[in-house]
Amino acid sequence: MPASSILSSVRNPLKTAIAGVAANVYDSVPEAPIVPFAAIVPSTPYLQPNFLSKANVKLKVNLVITVGVAIYDNQSALDNIEQLAISILAALPSGYEVGDLTNPINVTVGASEILALEIPVATYYTQTN
Amino acid sequence: MATTVITGRDLSFTIATVSYNEQATSATLSGDVTIDRYMTLNGPAYKSVDKQWTFDVEMLADWGATGSLCEALWAAAETSPNTTMAVSLTAVTGAVFAFNVLPIFPSVGGSSPDAQTVSMSFTVVGTPTETFS
Repeated sequence: MPASSILSSVRNPLKTAIAGVAANVYDSVPEAPIVPFAAIVPSTPYLQPNFLSKANVKLKVNLVITVGVAIYDNQSALDNIEQLAISILAALPSGYEVGDLTNPINVTVGASEILALEIPVATYYTQTN
Repeated sequence: MATTVITGRDLSFTIATVSYNEQATSATLSGDVTIDRYMTLNGPAYKSVDKQWTFDVEMLADWGATGSLCEALWAAAETSPNTTMAVSLTAVTGAVFAFNVLPIFPSVGGSSPDAQTVSMSFTVVGTPTETFS
C-alpha cells in the first residue's frame, strides 16, 4: 500500500469534488489560470498538528479555494463569481469546515484582469504508510 | 539540569483498552483535594480529608464511523452506567497513570461550520495508580 499524501488524500479529492462546477480547477497555484477557475492553494497556518500522540502524524489542513472569473463588466462578473462560489460550496465533500468568503477583488494575472474571491476550507489528514 | 519539556504529542490514553489517540485533541487528569481547616488553641491546623479525581477529554466526534468511539461511549453509558471502565493515561514514556471511570454520554452536535467536537468530564472512581519508570 503506497504511503498517503496530502496531494492524493486531500487536494486531489477536493479538486475532483468541485470539478463538476463550471470552472477550471487547479490543485496547486496555476501559472496562468483560465477563467472561470478555482485554485486550491495552502492557507496560513497551513498544517496544524493538534492531536495527541506522535505515533501517527495527524494534521488539520487549512486550504483556500481561490475563485476567479472574467471581469468584462462589473454586474455580470459579480453575478458569475457569486454563482460559482455557491456552486463550489454545494460541491464541497463532507468533513470540510468552511470559513467566511472574502469580498471579490480585481486581480491582475499575467496580461488579464480577473475578479477573484477566496473560500477558506479546512479538513483533517492522517499520514499512512 | 537541562530543561525537560513534554508536550501533548507525548500523551496517549486508552479507555477500556481502546486507543483514543485517533480522535482526541486533549486529555487531562486532575485531582480536587478537600482540605479542612481547624482552629486550634495553637492556631490553624489543616487536614486533607478527601480527594476526587476527574478525567477531562476533548475529541473530534466520530458518530457513524466504523469502530466509532463516540458510539462505544454512548453504548457503555446507556447499558452499563455503573460499570467502571479502565483508563490508562501515558503522560510520556515512563509515566503511566491507571484509573477507572464511570461511563458518561458524549455530547452531540456543534456549531456550523466547524468540526463537531465532544467534551467529556469523567468522574474517576477511586485513586489513580501511577507507574514511574
